[in-house]
Amino acid sequence: MRLFLTETMDQGRLNRRRFLFFTGIFGVTSIATWFMADLLWRNGLSMVEGIVLLLFVVLFAHVAVGFCTALVGFYVINRGGDSSRIVPPKPGAPLASTAIIMPVFNEDVSRVFEALRVIYRSVQETGELEHFDFFVLSDSNQPNQWIQEEVAWLELCKQVNGFGKIFYRKRRISINKKAGNVADFLRRWGRRYRYMVVLDADSIMTGRSLVQLVATMEKHPSIGILQTAPRIVNGTTLFARVQSFANRLYSPLFLAGLNYWQQHEGNYWGHNAVIRVQPFIDHCALPDLPGSEPFGGRILSHDFVEAALMRKAGWGVWLAGDIEGTFEEGPPTLIDSAKRDRRWCQGNMQHTWLLTARGFRPANRFHMLMGVMGYVSSPLWLFFLLVSTIHVFAQVTSPGKLGPRPEDYTSIFGYELEVPEAFTLFLLTMFLLFVPKVLSVIVAFNRGHADRFGGRRELVTSAVLETVLSALIAPISMAFNAKFVLTTLLGQGVSWVTQRRDADVDGTDWREAILTHGGQTCFGVVWGVSSFIISPGFFWWLSPVIAGLVLSIPISIFLSKASIGRGARELGLFMTPEEVAAPYELRRLEQNLAECYRHLAPIGPLRADYGLLQAVLDPYVNALHVALLRQRRQTEESREWFAQLRDRLLHDGPGNLTTKEKLALLMDADSMLELHRELWNSPAESLAEWWRLAMRQYNVLTAAPTTALYR
Amino acid sequence: MSGADSSGAAGSEADAGPGWDAVGLGGALDTLAGFRPKTGNMEAWNAAYVRVEDYLRAHRIHNRLHQSRLIQTVLERAARRHEANPALNPTQLAVEELELWMQRWFTSVLGATENSADRVAAQGRLAMLLCDGPQKWPYVFLDNRTQPTDFVTAMRTGAIDAGPDMSLSSMVPRPIDLGPIPEAAGETIERIEDWPIVRTLLLWLVFAGCLAVIFRMTR
Repeated sequence: MRLFLTETMDQGRLNRRRFLFFTGIFGVTSIATWFMADLLWRNGLSMVEGIVLLLFVVLFAHVAVGFCTALVGFYVINRGGDSSRIVPPKPGAPLASTAIIMPVFNEDVSRVFEALRVIYRSVQETGELEHFDFFVLSDSNQPNQWIQEEVAWLELCKQVNGFGKIFYRKRRISINKKAGNVADFLRRWGRRYRYMVVLDADSIMTGRSLVQLVATMEKHPSIGILQTAPRIVNGTTLFARVQSFANRLYSPLFLAGLNYWQQHEGNYWGHNAVIRVQPFIDHCALPDLPGSEPFGGRILSHDFVEAALMRKAGWGVWLAGDIEGTFEEGPPTLIDSAKRDRRWCQGNMQHTWLLTARGFRPANRFHMLMGVMGYVSSPLWLFFLLVSTIHVFAQVTSPGKLGPRPEDYTSIFGYELEVPEAFTLFLLTMFLLFVPKVLSVIVAFNRGHADRFGGRRELVTSAVLETVLSALIAPISMAFNAKFVLTTLLGQGVSWVTQRRDADVDGTDWREAILTHGGQTCFGVVWGVSSFIISPGFFWWLSPVIAGLVLSIPISIFLSKASIGRGARELGLFMTPEEVAAPYELRRLEQNLAECYRHLAPIGPLRADYGLLQAVLDPYVNALHVALLRQRRQTEESREWFAQLRDRLLHDGPGNLTTKEKLALLMDADSMLELHRELWNSPAESLAEWWRLAMRQYNVLTAAPTTALYR
Repeated sequence: MSGADSSGAAGSEADAGPGWDAVGLGGALDTLAGFRPKTGNMEAWNAAYVRVEDYLRAHRIHNRLHQSRLIQTVLERAARRHEANPALNPTQLAVEELELWMQRWFTSVLGATENSADRVAAQGRLAMLLCDGPQKWPYVFLDNRTQPTDFVTAMRTGAIDAGPDMSLSSMVPRPIDLGPIPEAAGETIERIEDWPIVRTLLLWLVFAGCLAVIFRMTR
């Protein structure tokens, strides 16, 4: 396999590739526009029809991008792969100092540190551990999380002998979220490392993949960012399993297609990527955008912008789709997925500012435009459908204007076919949406990969079911995203219902589903009834969208069930190669986590403040916590304030302190030492009942000689 | 649970028969019998006992024999102070004695240090945690007479590095030239943000405009 470097890639050849790709998008969109315009135009173009046409062009072009990417990917894969792509060097290639960083924010501590344990062990097994250091960069602002992280870090270091290799840093002031967290790391320690691998809290990478990434960077000094294509794994609910199946089956086509036209002008997705540190420090610090949040202010979705800045500075950004052993986890339910989209929506919409920024490469502008469209297309689709409803209403109320002909035949260059034009357009749209799925199944068959998806019959059945489910989910996602875009533009947040997490609850409960999807259901019912009254024919055209909205509550609950996910697995449905033959690292993580979660959880009354309890009461946790704090000088006023807080904590219990006050105490080393001393010195009757219970219970919980909550 | 242990220890004195001397345990019983707080009530000393026991268990001193010896010594010292000032609380006195003892012991194990007493104790506890002291050397905690060399070495080398040595870099955001249109839009937005009433009016204007368009379309 040949490999073209950024410098040696023939620009003319790249231009031809891009010309072909974008011409394809243009061509497909033109054909669809032709049909739509013809459909609307026959009785003259009204203002409403003009709006419908304009929206249609924008939305269809967006669909065409996905179709053309998959089509090009199919072409590339059928030719045996792209001759110009990143291929890792052979084993034994030289490596360089690399920091593996995992920024965390109130994550499941067991998951974070067990993942780190697995990655550490996996790197160790490659024999290249000397080149790697590991950092947990915490921005957690919940006392429980903070203390658990400290304890888990120490335990992990002890267990794997990782002192001096695995580090933990908690930021005192968490500004600028993940981008600020990474920037803080780079300011402190960036110069020590040539590369950094950025992981998410739910990422897993094998040692082999990490070694391959660093070796590739060493071999190609012009690359600034090398992004891998993480596989979505470890899903148990039906929703998560469907998502991971779709990701695994369809992504090869899209990755090959993306690499075909973007080459060294690829994108960065924020995690599971290796970055050359010095150029990142020099060029990728992010300024604020004009105005304030949500639309302006600090850049939330930093990754696309960092890729653009890296390219602007002349460094290559490649997609390494061939590197195996890179994983992430997806949201378990439709509602969790929507919550994630809510965060991403705001960040992606901010990129509108940067679409015409000077110095960015066209490919990066296109990435940002697609990011914006990923969310803006939802309200546009909704608007398109609503305007279409209004258009039908106008035609029904003015029957004189309604010409029967477009419903009877399709006209192509003067030739008339006895097929309704709208139906032709519908078929074209379906073709664009579903052909990539069909091609993906064909590719899996051709490559002999069907067994990796559970077998030929199971693969086809799963793909068909995934298509049906994705068609039902699409209108719900459209409704969610439309709401997110509008609320972002209006500067509003979205409130979420807290789920009742009982041990018996399997997935989303009815209360949460009704409160979250109730509006969508009502909207669907009203829209469906209205369209049926206006025109039953039009209602049937709209019915796939209406069905998704009206059934959003049961769909959301059904997809969130782990029991149904397990049932599907037993039937061999939605299988992925990582399930059929799980990599060693994933099996190890699953086993470790199962062991962690078997451990006794703190009793109910203590659970909410268990981290604070440990930091004050446990002599070792207290000592560890104080050792990790920086000593600060206090003023007389602050000393008095802290004394009051300590007094309230011990005599009234933690329930009477705000989270901010608890964090303030946890950040003050002198207060933590003093609290430990005062708690153990004080007669029981002078302490809050909560502390008396804590002292009685803690000995039961610490019967085993361990300081970690789990393990 | 802890109370039962302490009452059990006190009960053994009454149950001891003359035969015990014959097996050479009389000396130990004498030692136990020698301690009896002269001031304060039983309830207060039981509470002190439980607290010291809890604190030792929080230190993972699970060796009952060693634990009992430490508790007795601590209570003896506390009792002597209580005799001098019976108004003081036995629990407080006992824990103070234990803390003082630990501070001195950690200082002797760790060697010379510039830290304050509180800090020395914290440093010592951390060193104990790192070397798994209570598990590997179950009789050594607070024992001044025998300190195994490997234990002392482990304690003195036990330190943590949460991060490597810093190597500072400057990472300063560079302004992005947004181009003329977004730049002008940004300036306008920033200006509008300074005038909240204008902002609200504009939003309502847009809303009213949308309603008007829908009205026009559906007529």
